[in-house]
Amino acid sequence: MTQHLTESDVRGIAEYTRIGLSPGEVGRMTADLNSIIDSLAPITEYDLEGVEPTFHPIGGLSNVMRDDEPVPGFTQEEALSNAPKQEDGCFLIPSILGEGGDR
Amino acid sequence: MAQQAFGAMSAVQIQEGLKAKDFSAAEVARGALDGIAAADGQVHSFLQVTEDLALEAAARVDDALAAGTFDELGPLAGVPVGFKDNMNLVGTRTTCSSRMLAGYESPYTATCVQRCLDAGALPMGKLNMDEFAFGSSTETSAFGPTRNPWDLGRVPGGSSGGSAAAVAAGLVPVTLGSDTGGSIRQPASFCGVVGVKPTYGMVSRYGVVAFGSSLDQVGPFSRTVADAALAMNAIAGRDPLDCTSQPNGLDFTASLEAGVEGMRIGIVPEFMDAPGLTPEVRERIQEAAAKLEAEGAQLVDVSLPNAKAAMSAYYVLGPCEAFSNLARFDSVRYGYCDPGHKDLNAQYDASRAAGFGEEARRRIMLGSYLLSAGVYEKYYYPAQQVRTLITQDYTRAFEQVDCILTPVAPRTAFEFGEIGDPTEMYLSDMFTISINIAGNGGMSVPVGLGSDTGLPIGAQVIAPAFQDDRMTRVAAALERIYGQASVAPGFADGKAGE
Amino acid sequence: MRKLEEVLNDWEAVIGLEVHAELTTLETKMFCGCKLEFGAEPNTHTCPVCLGLPGALPVPNKAAIEGIVLAGLATNCDIEKHTTFYRKNYMYPDMAKNFQTTQGPVAFCMRGHLDLDVDGPAARERHGLDALEPGQAEGNITRTEDGYTAHVGITRIHMEEDAGKMVHVGGGEGRIAGATHSLVDYNRAGTPLIELVTEPDLRTPEEARLFMQKLRAIYLALGISDCSMEEGSLRCDGNVSLRRRGSAGLGVKTELKNMNSFKNLHDGLAYEICRQAEVLEEGGQIYQETRHWDPSAKRTIVMRVKETADDYRLFPEPDLAPYDLSDEFIEAVRAKLPELPDQKAKRFEAEFGLSAYDARHLTEHGSTARFFEGCMAEAAGDAAALAKPVANLVINDVTAYLNAHEGFALDGSPLTPERMVELVRLAEADSISSKQAKEVLLAVIEEGKAPKAIVEERGMEQVSDAGAIEAVVDEVLAANPDKVEQYKGGKTGLMGFFVGQCMKAMAGQGNPKVINELLAAKLDA
Repeated sequence: MTQHLTESDVRGIAEYTRIGLSPGEVGRMTADLNSIIDSLAPITEYDLEGVEPTFHPIGGLSNVMRDDEPVPGFTQEEALSNAPKQEDGCFLIPSILGEGGDR
Repeated sequence: MAQQAFGAMSAVQIQEGLKAKDFSAAEVARGALDGIAAADGQVHSFLQVTEDLALEAAARVDDALAAGTFDELGPLAGVPVGFKDNMNLVGTRTTCSSRMLAGYESPYTATCVQRCLDAGALPMGKLNMDEFAFGSSTETSAFGPTRNPWDLGRVPGGSSGGSAAAVAAGLVPVTLGSDTGGSIRQPASFCGVVGVKPTYGMVSRYGVVAFGSSLDQVGPFSRTVADAALAMNAIAGRDPLDCTSQPNGLDFTASLEAGVEGMRIGIVPEFMDAPGLTPEVRERIQEAAAKLEAEGAQLVDVSLPNAKAAMSAYYVLGPCEAFSNLARFDSVRYGYCDPGHKDLNAQYDASRAAGFGEEARRRIMLGSYLLSAGVYEKYYYPAQQVRTLITQDYTRAFEQVDCILTPVAPRTAFEFGEIGDPTEMYLSDMFTISINIAGNGGMSVPVGLGSDTGLPIGAQVIAPAFQDDRMTRVAAALERIYGQASVAPGFADGKAGE
Repeated sequence: MRKLEEVLNDWEAVIGLEVHAELTTLETKMFCGCKLEFGAEPNTHTCPVCLGLPGALPVPNKAAIEGIVLAGLATNCDIEKHTTFYRKNYMYPDMAKNFQTTQGPVAFCMRGHLDLDVDGPAARERHGLDALEPGQAEGNITRTEDGYTAHVGITRIHMEEDAGKMVHVGGGEGRIAGATHSLVDYNRAGTPLIELVTEPDLRTPEEARLFMQKLRAIYLALGISDCSMEEGSLRCDGNVSLRRRGSAGLGVKTELKNMNSFKNLHDGLAYEICRQAEVLEEGGQIYQETRHWDPSAKRTIVMRVKETADDYRLFPEPDLAPYDLSDEFIEAVRAKLPELPDQKAKRFEAEFGLSAYDARHLTEHGSTARFFEGCMAEAAGDAAALAKPVANLVINDVTAYLNAHEGFALDGSPLTPERMVELVRLAEADSISSKQAKEVLLAVIEEGKAPKAIVEERGMEQVSDAGAIEAVVDEVLAANPDKVEQYKGGKTGLMGFFVGQCMKAMAGQGNPKVINELLAAKLDA
């Protein structure tokens, strides 16, 4: 089996995807991922020179848009109906350490 | 009037009975509810039963019957229908069989579900599945597996295992499932029922929790091809809320009697000779092809040379899209929130670790890796190029034939725990995956039982994009040859309702 | 720290801007039919799509696509017909789906530019300008009589969606640092947002400010956004790096945020340039980091160090069909292009004989330009003669009033073109002094009366009668023989003193022109 990912890589991916893995889980996840990635080898061995990708399996469909007309949405109560925690009509989250992406 | 096993009747039979005033829609609903209560304990296909919704819908149907407006209701009037639990329906929880969404109450309704309701269907409840549709056995459900009604020690297939099993056990005549790599067709084959994976864009995905956005498609399960046609008539068509849905003018019931005479049906030698295809499945498919030929169809060998790359393309595209689609489950707006954390990242990490099962975690992390800088070019981009080649394969094949006949799955239903290695599990989708990659329609129709296992085997009918009525036409011909799918033996003869 | 102009003698600043504009003039969000409204109760403009509920799918707003194409055409961009949306994946709680729907390598608008006229004091920040003759070009600038024009490349304008808003509770002044928890409101989530990225063609904070002013004027003229920097519907980030004069390489850049006014944009960049110069001159190193401009402390603060390039796992959004814009679509949008500020300025120059400077300032804001045109229509046959005095009052006094009074709008105000022309005619006829004209202008706005009525009420009629003025002049000269002596001895600066004394004696109503003439005649005799 090829070592596509080290345990350190997997810890990095876990952090990016925000899935907490216990130290014990990292080893098994690393092995599983390496095995799956191995099985993807055919995709890397194909001769794809000059082949255009198809990102959307929808034929020639394009320019699908809607008119700029308001549609009724949720009330505040509906919007928050599944919120684990809320306060003052907003979703409540614990304090944020670190920054988001660029906007 | 004696208690009837309404769930074991076909939609067409129920509608005839309603029109003849043999029974009321309320009796249908009540009978189906009783059937589920009596028999689903063995199968575990339902995660929720929506008694109130079913009875309300039945009352509307009975009002229409009384007012003489029944025929205006729509193609599923009075028909009990169950929905895979990744389909939103107001008044139900939509859990995707995940701890993550165990308490999630749908604040809106999926278009496919709404179209069933608008067509007069009686919503019976929500059906078990592999967690977030990641799997081919329904074993990954956080709420316990569904059992195959043909053999309770075996899996029903997946991911729409609950949808297939509920129909096979005669609990409901029609259910909806979703298919990303074979998740309708494979469980239909395993459970001996009809299952349709329409062309991508035939049915709206709005409100169906996404797995692989460029692969997912919603379709019906039923025991008769005519019922599948009714369900397709109800749910197909463009939805302004789904940009990838497209209009079609098909009436699926129109061509059911047309037969196959003069049709050119493709056989794919590389599929029939595939390693891993069990002899009993090969035998049934060859036999089905021969019988169609006897009905006047012309068999033509067609090649799908790039289909062999479909598996790896799928296991690149699926996880990539899933990784992104599942990012929204973050404990902020809905979903499992691990308590007591003072820092958001800690809450994220703990909630997503505990909320997602192992296969979900694996696919999310795999997708994240495959899309990362420098890796994207190695896997994701080539996978989309392979999609072009596979699509071209089908386009070329359909220049020669009107539809294609293949196996659905390489084998019949396996036993619980029989397949542990994820990559081996992935092989059960070897004949279905390339259709999701290309986007066209595929359908599973029962063609008898395996000579070794005695378990149901489905044939896959594949049609060109947006010519999905060709599938139901060929399937109807096979149904006339093999007879309508029966309720699984242990549940037959109204046992489910007694 | 050294002053900016000194720093720029030794260092060349390389500045690029990223400008986000919310398309606030639309009715609905980018991918759902929720209403766009600033200041509504939290989470009341939400739906499955903008809350990122499981199963929801996006549908693009056609008017937003028209809006970005309009922006592209107005900034000389090529409109890319074949584009698609991408997903930019990163987890942050104000973004409901935890990915932002944006564009990939090909945006709707690519390869545009704006030409900036930099003149007056603004041109002083540009190093080496004196070495150029008018008409002479160097790099991306061309010397003009009183400054230069700068050609600023626009890399792209892409379409994306805004995030929700967060309130941080428990920390100081709503800051994220020290907060115990945060509250998220998704009303803003999904607001159509266009992001313009410039080439690193800007060299001074003034150029950056002028670019933003010009872009804002264009967006306002297009009517695609209310462009409120205070409310955040127009936002600007700057990338800054320094290199030694004469060197061609690029230094390490920092990204500057929170420059939510033109002044903050200028001052933030100026500070950052000086800071970087100081660090480099002391042998230090610039780190690639995001910094926050704190206008009260007048410095930039590190927000986030970027150790590695961000990896957002971008991939084409499978839920959205690609775009294949037709010529018809693009031409239909082009037909909606209004007269842009630059074109209007050229027309004002030609039609009313205004200077380029006056024309540019009059056309910076649609309402000011409309008002000026209203005045010219009112002036009818005298338009040519009144253009310059009207322009002066508008550019200086009216603009100052507008700047000082937030919420005051020319449209529908008591200062009608009719009153403005009446006022300028009074001044031109020497019935009131230019100083009085300013006073009357204020009174017209604040009291809502006609200029003539105000002049009468306040007895402001200007005295231009030479006889009456001569008597006053004689009195003033007689009362200040020592000053007269000094003046004749060469201290001609005393002229102002004599004029002031005369004006004082005439309670401000003497015609300063006549006073000047008579004084000169007597003193220089």
